Amino acid sequence: MNRTPYAPSASRRRFLALSGGAAATGLLAAAGCSAPDDGTSTAKAGDAAAGPRTLTRIGLDYPFTQLPLYSTLVKLSTAAAKKKNVSVLTTSDASNADTQATNLTTWVSQKVPAIVSFPMVFEATEAVAKAALDAGLIWVTYGGTLEHQSADIQFSFLKGGTLLGEAAATWANEQLGGKGKVAFLTDSTIQLGRERTKGMIDAFTKHAPGVDVVAREQAIDPDTGLSKTRAVLAKHPDLNIVLGVTDAAAYGGYKALQQTGRKSTDAKTFVGGQDGAAPSLVAIKQGTFYRASAALAPQDIANAVVDVPLAVAAGKANAGAQVPITLVQHGDTARIDALLAQNS
Amino acid sequence: MTTATTTPAERPLPSPRTLVDGGTRTVRRHPLLLVLALMVLVFQLTTGSFLDTGNLRGIATDAATLAIVAVPLALLVISGYLDLSVGSTLALGGLVAGWLAGQQHQSPVVAVLGAVVVGAAVGAVNGILCCYLGLSAFIVTLGMLTAVRGLAQQLFPLPLSSFGPGFAWLGGSRIAGLDAPVVIAALVLVAGALFLAVTPAGRHVFAIGVNREAAYLSGINVRRTPFTLFVVTGVAAALAGAIKASVLDSVVAGTSGAGFELTVLTAVLLGGVALTGGSGSVFGVLLGVLFLGCLQNGLTLLSVPTFWQQMAQGTALVAGAALAYFGPRLNR
Repeated sequence: MNRTPYAPSASRRRFLALSGGAAATGLLAAAGCSAPDDGTSTAKAGDAAAGPRTLTRIGLDYPFTQLPLYSTLVKLSTAAAKKKNVSVLTTSDASNADTQATNLTTWVSQKVPAIVSFPMVFEATEAVAKAALDAGLIWVTYGGTLEHQSADIQFSFLKGGTLLGEAAATWANEQLGGKGKVAFLTDSTIQLGRERTKGMIDAFTKHAPGVDVVAREQAIDPDTGLSKTRAVLAKHPDLNIVLGVTDAAAYGGYKALQQTGRKSTDAKTFVGGQDGAAPSLVAIKQGTFYRASAALAPQDIANAVVDVPLAVAAGKANAGAQVPITLVQHGDTARIDALLAQNS
Repeated sequence: MTTATTTPAERPLPSPRTLVDGGTRTVRRHPLLLVLALMVLVFQLTTGSFLDTGNLRGIATDAATLAIVAVPLALLVISGYLDLSVGSTLALGGLVAGWLAGQQHQSPVVAVLGAVVVGAAVGAVNGILCCYLGLSAFIVTLGMLTAVRGLAQQLFPLPLSSFGPGFAWLGGSRIAGLDAPVVIAALVLVAGALFLAVTPAGRHVFAIGVNREAAYLSGINVRRTPFTLFVVTGVAAALAGAIKASVLDSVVAGTSGAGFELTVLTAVLLGGVALTGGSGSVFGVLLGVLFLGCLQNGLTLLSVPTFWQQMAQGTALVAGAALAYFGPRLNR
């Protein structure tokens, strides 16, 4: 007679219990359950003002783990740090501000000697940054400025958007006589996105006031960029310009235009984005109507992630860094190749 | 013993009254149909371009991948299970297909087969843990959602793109005037409907969902059928991933299919499939998919600001779900 499937047998329960226990033991062993090393070779952590010291560990807290830049940044930062005998720790925040706060609090309590953090919500991160400074740790703010910090790594997201908006406006004035239709793929959910969006729209509308703004749609990924642009194209098949807050969204717009029959070299179409993402760079290099990207060089960021905390540890005044954003367009082949190499 | 037979020619044609009654019954059973029709009417009147061929084509293509996954997922839900890992499986399937086509220069058929195998593997793991070891489908597939996403990001940390013209066929070609993804979705819908309506296994799905113990005592294999549905759902998600990769000619491990599991589950539930199992139909699922696609598209056409769009979508979903739940009861 068959047994009913609803009552697991004792042997199965035993198997599950034993395998679960073994897995937990293995994980604990692998994680290393010893007290954390403070990572500095001199003085006690918590004494930031006690003069120069040598860092051996830097914590990099980049919350957007789903973005390709995360992997690139970790790889390049680790390599840059290794050259200076420093190891890099990372968090796994999965784009969740609560998880980020928990991870940062853990690092502060473990006295990770230098923390480079990209706050998802700047105001909410002040408290943990203050706690880090109070504990004598180095706190470097990535992508903005906090009241409590040792230094910061600045990017002008506004400038990135402005560069793209100006380039598109110049193109519209030259190629379309200042007329035409533009759709913006925007982001209003995080600070970075709001700054990029503002820079992009303000610069474009200022320099090309004759171009009709037919859509401002939230889109940061290619899927959404594709479906939103498709819908806009249904109402405005003569759409000329799509500008994206990210290259990913803009790439979705680029594919939507192609799929409605636009030739990829169409002279009356302009698509541009921000980030310097590989698929977009390839499209620009190929001379398609994907014409521009406001790009950050991952190597520049990785160098800053290592150099800024080291400079603070060395007691250098004004240790912060400004990472440049440049506009990549048709013809910038060497620059595109360099960016693609960093992303490979 | 004699058997009475009736040839098709001898069957009486349905009278107009019968057709009207049938239509009324369909609307009573699927009140979402009425809501969908009203929504389409409103969008057409307010935008003037909603029913344009190009726009309908866009809606159909966007909805195709949703339908491809929604149908097997609906069968799984009817049988009393759930799969929340489809978003990550979609991403992994797209990445494997893109990697095979773009970096390994394999034929599109091999690329799609690779994705399908990966999807089947994920589905099989879900199926073994849920159907044979008796673990909670909610917990297992929620865990797999994260684990498979992590695996995808570990294997493919950088975006993949430029898969070549051969692979672009999957998402960009036209068959009998329709985009290939729409044709694939139509085949999946028909297959799902026929499976539920005419096969013994289809009836077993309902029986297992209504009362698993009674189904078991009736001699139905209450493990094999849901296990197969888990595998088919994994395959469908991976196939949808390959189609999306082909349409976009790119795929990113971290963002592809993110949140897709909730969208597809919403479509299934809107379509009248009971989360507790035992009831639902493929036609209802089609309505749920079209409802979501039309709503998203119409709000974009109307240039509704982002946060208002979110509020409108949430409100419409709750209203649609309430109608799907209360409508049939009010008509009894």
